[in-house]
Amino acid sequence: MKKFEELTIGDTLGPLDLIVTKEQCRNYAKISGFGEVAGRFTDEEAAKKEGLPGIILPGNMSLGLLSKLVTDWIGPANARLIRMGTTYRVPVQPDHRLVLNGFVTNTNPNDRTAEIDVWIENEEGERLVTGTATVEFPK
Amino acid sequence: MVDFDPAIINKVFENTDPVEVKPEMIARFCASLGESNPLFTDPEAAKKGPYGGIVAPPSFAVTFRNGRHFFDHIPRYGRRGFDAGKDVEFVAPIHPGDKISLSSHVKEIYEKTGRTGTMVFVVIRSTLKNQKDEVVAHIDHRFMNRP
Repeated sequence: MKKFEELTIGDTLGPLDLIVTKEQCRNYAKISGFGEVAGRFTDEEAAKKEGLPGIILPGNMSLGLLSKLVTDWIGPANARLIRMGTTYRVPVQPDHRLVLNGFVTNTNPNDRTAEIDVWIENEEGERLVTGTATVEFPK
Repeated sequence: MVDFDPAIINKVFENTDPVEVKPEMIARFCASLGESNPLFTDPEAAKKGPYGGIVAPPSFAVTFRNGRHFFDHIPRYGRRGFDAGKDVEFVAPIHPGDKISLSSHVKEIYEKTGRTGTMVFVVIRSTLKNQKDEVVAHIDHRFMNRP
Protein backbone atom coordinates (compact mmCIF):
# COMPACT_ATOMS: atom_id res chain seq x y z
CA MET A 1 0.00 0.00 0.00
CA LYS A 2 1.30 3.38 -0.98
CA LYS A 3 1.44 6.39 1.30
CA PHE A 4 -1.14 9.09 0.64
CA GLU A 5 1.53 11.31 -0.93
CA GLU A 6 2.48 8.57 -3.39
CA LEU A 7 -1.03 8.01 -4.75
CA THR A 8 -1.71 8.90 -8.36
CA ILE A 9 -5.06 9.30 -10.07
CA GLY A 10 -5.50 6.18 -12.17
CA ASP A 11 -3.76 3.83 -9.68
CA THR A 12 -5.53 0.50 -10.02
CA LEU A 13 -7.08 -1.97 -7.55
CA GLY A 14 -7.28 -5.50 -8.89
CA PRO A 15 -8.20 -6.85 -11.35
CA LEU A 16 -9.25 -9.70 -9.11
CA ASP A 17 -10.61 -12.79 -10.82
CA LEU A 18 -12.94 -14.94 -8.77
CA ILE A 19 -15.79 -17.39 -8.76
CA VAL A 20 -18.25 -17.30 -5.88
CA THR A 21 -19.57 -20.80 -5.25
CA LYS A 22 -23.25 -21.49 -4.56
CA GLU A 23 -22.19 -22.71 -1.14
CA GLN A 24 -20.51 -19.37 -0.34
CA CYS A 25 -23.57 -17.54 -1.62
CA ARG A 26 -25.91 -19.59 0.60
CA ASN A 27 -23.62 -19.14 3.60
CA TYR A 28 -23.50 -15.40 3.11
CA ALA A 29 -27.30 -15.26 2.75
CA LYS A 30 -27.80 -17.29 5.93
CA ILE A 31 -25.43 -15.14 7.97
CA SER A 32 -27.28 -12.06 6.83
CA GLY A 33 -30.57 -13.61 7.86
CA PHE A 34 -31.88 -13.79 4.31
CA GLY A 35 -32.23 -17.57 4.24
CA GLU A 36 -35.74 -17.72 5.59
CA VAL A 37 -37.15 -14.79 3.61
CA ALA A 38 -35.68 -14.96 0.12
CA GLY A 39 -35.16 -18.26 -1.67
CA ARG A 40 -33.61 -16.47 -4.64
CA PHE A 41 -30.27 -16.47 -2.76
CA THR A 42 -30.39 -20.10 -1.61
CA ASP A 43 -32.74 -22.22 -3.72
CA GLU A 44 -32.43 -22.79 -7.50
CA GLU A 45 -36.12 -23.58 -7.98
CA ALA A 46 -37.34 -20.59 -6.00
CA ALA A 47 -35.00 -18.30 -7.98
CA LYS A 48 -36.23 -19.69 -11.33
CA LYS A 49 -39.84 -19.15 -10.26
CA GLU A 50 -38.95 -15.46 -9.90
CA GLY A 51 -37.73 -15.42 -13.49
CA LEU A 52 -34.04 -15.48 -12.55
CA PRO A 53 -31.55 -17.82 -14.27
CA GLY A 54 -30.80 -19.50 -10.91
CA ILE A 55 -29.71 -18.35 -7.46
CA ILE A 56 -28.09 -14.91 -7.33
CA LEU A 57 -25.78 -13.17 -4.88
CA PRO A 58 -27.42 -10.87 -2.32
CA GLY A 59 -26.64 -7.25 -3.25
CA ASN A 60 -24.91 -6.91 0.10
CA MET A 61 -22.56 -9.73 -0.83
CA SER A 62 -21.43 -7.78 -3.91
CA LEU A 63 -20.90 -4.79 -1.63
CA GLY A 64 -18.86 -7.09 0.64
CA LEU A 65 -16.67 -8.29 -2.24
CA LEU A 66 -16.02 -4.73 -3.41
CA SER A 67 -15.25 -3.63 0.16
CA LYS A 68 -12.78 -6.51 0.34
CA LEU A 69 -11.15 -5.33 -2.90
CA VAL A 70 -10.53 -1.98 -1.16
CA THR A 71 -9.44 -3.38 2.23
CA ASP A 72 -7.08 -5.83 0.45
CA TRP A 73 -5.57 -2.82 -1.32
CA ILE A 74 -5.18 -1.07 2.07
CA GLY A 75 -3.65 -4.28 3.53
CA PRO A 76 -2.15 -3.90 7.00
CA ALA A 77 -1.74 -0.12 6.56
CA ASN A 78 -3.41 2.26 8.93
CA ALA A 79 -5.83 3.67 6.33
CA ARG A 80 -9.58 3.08 6.57
CA LEU A 81 -12.48 2.50 4.19
CA ILE A 82 -14.94 5.16 5.38
CA ARG A 83 -17.64 5.07 2.70
CA MET A 84 -18.93 2.84 -0.05
CA GLY A 85 -21.83 3.31 -2.43
CA THR A 86 -23.07 0.62 -4.81
CA THR A 87 -25.55 0.33 -7.65
CA TYR A 88 -26.89 -3.12 -8.51
CA ARG A 89 -27.36 -3.10 -12.29
CA VAL A 90 -27.52 -6.76 -13.30
CA PRO A 91 -27.98 -9.82 -11.01
CA VAL A 92 -24.66 -11.49 -10.07
CA GLN A 93 -24.60 -15.29 -10.35
CA PRO A 94 -22.51 -17.78 -8.40
CA ASP A 95 -20.35 -20.30 -10.33
CA HIS A 96 -19.63 -17.65 -12.98
CA ARG A 97 -16.30 -15.94 -13.49
CA LEU A 98 -16.31 -12.42 -12.00
CA VAL A 99 -13.67 -9.73 -12.31
CA LEU A 100 -13.37 -7.01 -9.66
CA ASN A 101 -11.75 -3.74 -10.66
CA GLY A 102 -11.05 -0.34 -9.24
CA PHE A 103 -9.02 2.79 -9.74
CA VAL A 104 -8.25 6.00 -7.89
CA THR A 105 -10.31 8.85 -9.35
CA ASN A 106 -9.35 11.68 -7.02
CA THR A 107 -7.23 12.53 -4.00
CA ASN A 108 -8.03 15.24 -1.47
CA PRO A 109 -4.98 16.48 0.49
CA ASN A 110 -7.15 18.55 2.88
CA ASP A 111 -8.78 15.55 4.53
CA ARG A 112 -6.24 12.99 3.23
CA THR A 113 -8.85 10.91 1.44
CA ALA A 114 -8.84 9.07 -1.87
CA GLU A 115 -11.91 8.52 -4.04
CA ILE A 116 -12.07 5.19 -5.85
CA ASP A 117 -14.34 3.77 -8.56
CA VAL A 118 -15.03 0.06 -8.19
CA TRP A 119 -17.03 -2.44 -10.22
CA ILE A 120 -17.76 -6.12 -10.79
CA GLU A 121 -17.90 -7.30 -14.38
CA ASN A 122 -18.66 -10.65 -16.00
CA GLU A 123 -16.61 -12.50 -18.59
CA GLU A 124 -18.17 -10.42 -21.37
CA GLY A 125 -16.99 -7.21 -19.69
CA GLU A 126 -20.53 -6.21 -18.71
CA ARG A 127 -20.63 -4.17 -15.50
CA LEU A 128 -22.97 -5.94 -13.09
CA VAL A 129 -22.34 -3.79 -10.01
CA THR A 130 -20.74 -0.36 -9.93
CA GLY A 131 -19.68 1.67 -6.93
CA THR A 132 -17.51 4.33 -5.37
CA ALA A 133 -15.42 4.20 -2.20
CA THR A 134 -13.63 6.68 0.02
CA VAL A 135 -10.45 5.74 1.88
CA GLU A 136 -9.07 7.92 4.66
CA PHE A 137 -5.32 7.93 5.27
CA PRO A 138 -3.64 8.62 8.63
CA LYS A 139 -3.16 12.30 9.33
CA MET B 1 -44.64 13.74 -9.37
CA VAL B 2 -44.91 10.82 -6.99
CA ASP B 3 -47.53 11.21 -4.27
CA PHE B 4 -46.71 10.63 -0.59
CA ASP B 5 -47.41 12.05 2.84
CA PRO B 6 -44.43 14.30 3.68
CA ALA B 7 -44.93 13.44 7.37
CA ILE B 8 -43.31 10.02 6.82
CA ILE B 9 -39.95 11.58 5.94
CA ASN B 10 -37.47 11.43 8.83
CA LYS B 11 -39.91 9.67 11.14
CA VAL B 12 -38.14 6.77 12.85
CA PHE B 13 -40.26 3.63 12.37
CA GLU B 14 -37.88 1.04 13.66
CA ASN B 15 -35.64 0.57 16.69
CA THR B 16 -34.21 -2.93 16.95
CA ASP B 17 -33.06 -4.75 20.06
CA PRO B 18 -29.26 -4.89 20.37
CA VAL B 19 -27.49 -7.87 18.78
CA GLU B 20 -24.24 -9.00 20.37
CA VAL B 21 -21.40 -9.51 17.90
CA LYS B 22 -19.83 -12.88 18.72
CA PRO B 23 -16.33 -13.65 17.41
CA GLU B 24 -17.70 -16.65 15.47
CA MET B 25 -20.16 -14.36 13.64
CA ILE B 26 -17.21 -12.35 12.34
CA ALA B 27 -15.31 -15.56 11.48
CA ARG B 28 -18.27 -17.01 9.52
CA PHE B 29 -18.76 -13.72 7.70
CA CYS B 30 -15.07 -13.64 6.74
CA ALA B 31 -15.20 -17.25 5.51
CA SER B 32 -18.20 -16.59 3.25
CA LEU B 33 -16.34 -13.74 1.52
CA GLY B 34 -12.98 -15.51 1.35
CA GLU B 35 -11.53 -12.87 3.66
CA SER B 36 -7.87 -13.36 4.59
CA ASN B 37 -6.78 -9.95 5.91
CA PRO B 38 -5.18 -10.67 9.33
CA LEU B 39 -6.82 -7.54 10.82
CA PHE B 40 -10.14 -9.39 10.47
CA THR B 41 -9.10 -13.03 10.81
CA ASP B 42 -5.97 -13.46 12.95
CA PRO B 43 -6.27 -12.45 16.64
CA GLU B 44 -2.48 -12.50 17.22
CA ALA B 45 -1.57 -10.44 14.15
CA ALA B 46 -4.50 -8.06 14.76
CA LYS B 47 -3.12 -7.21 18.22
CA LYS B 48 -0.30 -5.34 16.51
CA GLY B 49 -2.71 -3.59 14.14
CA PRO B 50 -4.38 -0.19 14.51
CA TYR B 51 -7.32 -1.54 16.60
CA GLY B 52 -5.40 -3.71 19.08
CA GLY B 53 -7.40 -6.81 18.13
CA ILE B 54 -9.74 -8.24 15.54
CA VAL B 55 -12.44 -5.99 14.13
CA ALA B 56 -15.17 -6.92 11.66
CA PRO B 57 -14.58 -6.10 7.98
CA PRO B 58 -16.37 -2.79 7.22
CA SER B 59 -19.15 -4.42 5.18
CA PHE B 60 -20.16 -6.55 8.19
CA ALA B 61 -22.27 -3.46 9.05
CA VAL B 62 -24.80 -4.35 6.34
CA THR B 63 -25.57 -7.79 7.79
CA PHE B 64 -27.60 -6.47 10.74
CA ARG B 65 -31.24 -7.11 10.13
CA ASN B 66 -33.85 -4.50 10.36
CA GLY B 67 -36.89 -5.64 12.31
CA ARG B 68 -39.42 -8.09 10.99
CA HIS B 69 -41.77 -5.27 9.97
CA PHE B 70 -39.16 -3.25 8.10
CA PHE B 71 -40.72 -3.88 4.69
CA ASP B 72 -44.20 -2.94 5.97
CA HIS B 73 -42.94 0.62 6.38
CA ILE B 74 -41.46 1.08 2.95
CA PRO B 75 -43.99 2.84 0.75
CA ARG B 76 -44.77 0.74 -2.34
CA TYR B 77 -45.29 2.12 -5.76
CA GLY B 78 -46.53 -0.36 -8.29
CA ARG B 79 -44.85 -3.73 -8.74
CA ARG B 80 -42.58 -5.33 -6.20
CA GLY B 81 -39.55 -3.17 -5.54
CA PHE B 82 -35.98 -4.33 -5.58
CA ASP B 83 -32.69 -3.41 -3.97
CA ALA B 84 -31.13 -0.84 -6.32
CA GLY B 85 -28.09 -0.04 -4.23
CA LYS B 86 -26.58 1.08 -0.95
CA ASP B 87 -24.62 3.98 0.37
CA VAL B 88 -22.76 3.14 3.54
CA GLU B 89 -20.79 5.42 5.80
CA PHE B 90 -18.44 3.35 7.98
CA VAL B 91 -18.08 5.66 10.99
CA ALA B 92 -16.26 3.38 13.46
CA PRO B 93 -15.07 -0.25 13.43
CA ILE B 94 -17.28 -2.98 14.93
CA HIS B 95 -15.49 -5.05 17.58
CA PRO B 96 -16.31 -8.53 18.89
CA GLY B 97 -18.54 -8.13 21.95
CA ASP B 98 -20.19 -4.95 20.66
CA LYS B 99 -23.95 -4.79 20.99
CA ILE B 100 -25.39 -3.22 17.86
CA SER B 101 -28.86 -1.74 17.46
CA LEU B 102 -30.47 -0.09 14.45
CA SER B 103 -32.92 2.73 14.01
CA SER B 104 -34.46 3.42 10.61
CA HIS B 105 -36.40 6.15 8.88
CA VAL B 106 -37.47 7.12 5.36
CA LYS B 107 -34.83 9.56 4.16
CA GLU B 108 -36.24 10.51 0.77
CA ILE B 109 -38.60 9.54 -2.03
CA TYR B 110 -37.96 10.63 -5.59
CA GLU B 111 -38.87 9.85 -9.15
CA LYS B 112 -36.51 9.32 -12.06
CA THR B 113 -37.19 8.72 -15.73
CA GLY B 114 -34.67 6.63 -17.59
CA ARG B 115 -34.38 4.50 -20.73
CA THR B 116 -36.80 1.95 -19.32
CA GLY B 117 -39.45 4.39 -18.09
CA THR B 118 -40.38 5.96 -14.77
CA MET B 119 -38.90 4.66 -11.54
CA VAL B 120 -39.68 5.64 -7.98
CA PHE B 121 -36.85 5.42 -5.47
CA VAL B 122 -37.41 5.11 -1.74
CA VAL B 123 -34.33 5.64 0.42
CA ILE B 124 -34.38 4.19 3.93
CA ARG B 125 -31.60 5.26 6.28
CA SER B 126 -30.59 2.88 9.07
CA THR B 127 -28.22 4.14 11.74
CA LEU B 128 -26.22 1.55 13.68
CA LYS B 129 -25.09 2.29 17.23
CA ASN B 130 -23.03 0.29 19.69
CA GLN B 131 -23.57 -0.26 23.43
CA LYS B 132 -21.87 3.08 24.18
CA ASP B 133 -24.46 4.86 22.05
CA GLU B 134 -21.75 5.66 19.47
CA VAL B 135 -22.74 5.64 15.82
CA VAL B 136 -20.81 2.94 13.96
CA ALA B 137 -22.46 3.25 10.53
CA HIS B 138 -25.17 4.93 8.46
CA ILE B 139 -26.68 2.76 5.74
CA ASP B 140 -28.87 4.20 3.00
CA HIS B 141 -30.91 1.43 1.35
CA ARG B 142 -32.14 2.46 -2.09
CA PHE B 143 -35.25 0.61 -3.24
CA MET B 144 -36.54 0.97 -6.80
CA ASN B 145 -40.17 0.57 -7.79
CA ARG B 146 -41.86 0.80 -11.18
CA PRO B 147 -45.25 2.45 -11.03
